[in-house]
Amino acid sequence: MSLLSIHGLTKRFGANEILKGVDLDVDQGEVVSVIGSSGSGKTTLLRCVNLLEDFDGGEIILDGVSIGYATENGRRRRVGERELARQRSMTGMVFQSFNLFPHLTAIGNVMLGLVKVRRMNRADATVHAMSWLNRVGLSDRAHHLPGQLSGGQQQRVAIARAFAMNPKLVLLDEITSALDPELVGEVLGTIKSLAVEGTTMLIVTHEMRFARDVSQRVVFMDGGRIAEQGPPAEIFNAPRVARLREFLGKANM
Amino acid sequence: MEGFLHELWVARWAIGQGTLLTIQVSAFSILLGSALGMLGGVGLAYGPWPLRWLIRILVDCIRGTPVLVLILASFYLLSFAGINFTAIESGLFSLTIFCAAHMAEVIRGALQSIPGAQIDAGRAIGLTFLKILTYVLLPQVARQILPVWVNTGAELVKASTLLSVIGAGELLFRTQEIIGRNFMTLEFYGFCGVIYFLINFAIERLGKVAARRFALQ
Repeated sequence: MSLLSIHGLTKRFGANEILKGVDLDVDQGEVVSVIGSSGSGKTTLLRCVNLLEDFDGGEIILDGVSIGYATENGRRRRVGERELARQRSMTGMVFQSFNLFPHLTAIGNVMLGLVKVRRMNRADATVHAMSWLNRVGLSDRAHHLPGQLSGGQQQRVAIARAFAMNPKLVLLDEITSALDPELVGEVLGTIKSLAVEGTTMLIVTHEMRFARDVSQRVVFMDGGRIAEQGPPAEIFNAPRVARLREFLGKANM
Repeated sequence: MEGFLHELWVARWAIGQGTLLTIQVSAFSILLGSALGMLGGVGLAYGPWPLRWLIRILVDCIRGTPVLVLILASFYLLSFAGINFTAIESGLFSLTIFCAAHMAEVIRGALQSIPGAQIDAGRAIGLTFLKILTYVLLPQVARQILPVWVNTGAELVKASTLLSVIGAGELLFRTQEIIGRNFMTLEFYGFCGVIYFLINFAIERLGKVAARRFALQ
């Protein structure tokens, strides 16, 4: 059974229909990359899965449970704040612009969710957070504030913050787009090392080489729909859809 | 000079009590006022519209009224509503709502200046909105508004002198009483001015220390 099942997902901002019926299944332990040009709906799709956006139609099923909305007497309504927070805590998300909490140290950023959401005591949370900072190679920066870290280091702290919560699914939203080119490698290397450990990931990326290396399946989105999907070798070497051929032609390989 | 020192010694309790009351009234109004201002600011930034409107009207009315008028109104007008405040109670009440209204506006502005991505990041790790407010937004707001807050504290110390017009025995009122007895106008107003300066200087220094302590670099 799939860990994540998206059925007929639609989302509009005013008159602008961003998602026009997306169907996607992600298996337990699978790493899926989503590629496509700007405005194709990739980021919106990810934000819907983490319930940061509401959506107009369709269903998102995570680990067998429909999330975000409940149906009561035949009427669809957004679930309450507390339940939303609980459902969000099952997925982790890493953002393009890091979004670390600037007033907390690196370890403070990783610990906040452990203490306030997972309700770990501070001693356990410290040990757990430290082990994650260690895995992203930043244990020596644990007590630095985000403002004292480079972009690549900040993003690795953000990765530790997301993974330390032990989520069922991790969403990565263009996590290297805001980085200087020489810092991209350290962040992607960190993700590759975590991918081999069987964490389920849904990755939106503009790094085609990374998508090819890290994922078992690549999804190409175009105009709010999934236009083509398949193993990286097929998508990159034998694209069937004209729009994908065009996109890959322009993309920096 | 010897005459002044003698008069100062005679008046030491009056000056001490006046100074103490000035500090107490200022401290009370900045603390309670800031707490109320925080609630008001959160309400203005995130409350449902009826609450937002209610707070908006209160804040604008208070901010649009001179502090002296607030003090006189809470001393003389509230008695018509059956609320009989003493001079000190009127002072505490008026300075507190004055501080609250200002801080509500400042805190609303600071909350709205924090990027929405901070809220997204809090939500993504499963924090409820109340926890995001408590652990993510307000700590950042506190750092941002610290200079304004310190300034408001100093303003309140100065505004507390206005309580002398309704007979609350704060430092200025006590000083005027002393001068009424010994006619040493220049000396005692000067001395009173030095005390106000020292209080505000101390507040400003404390603010600097706090700013360094909580800096984000």
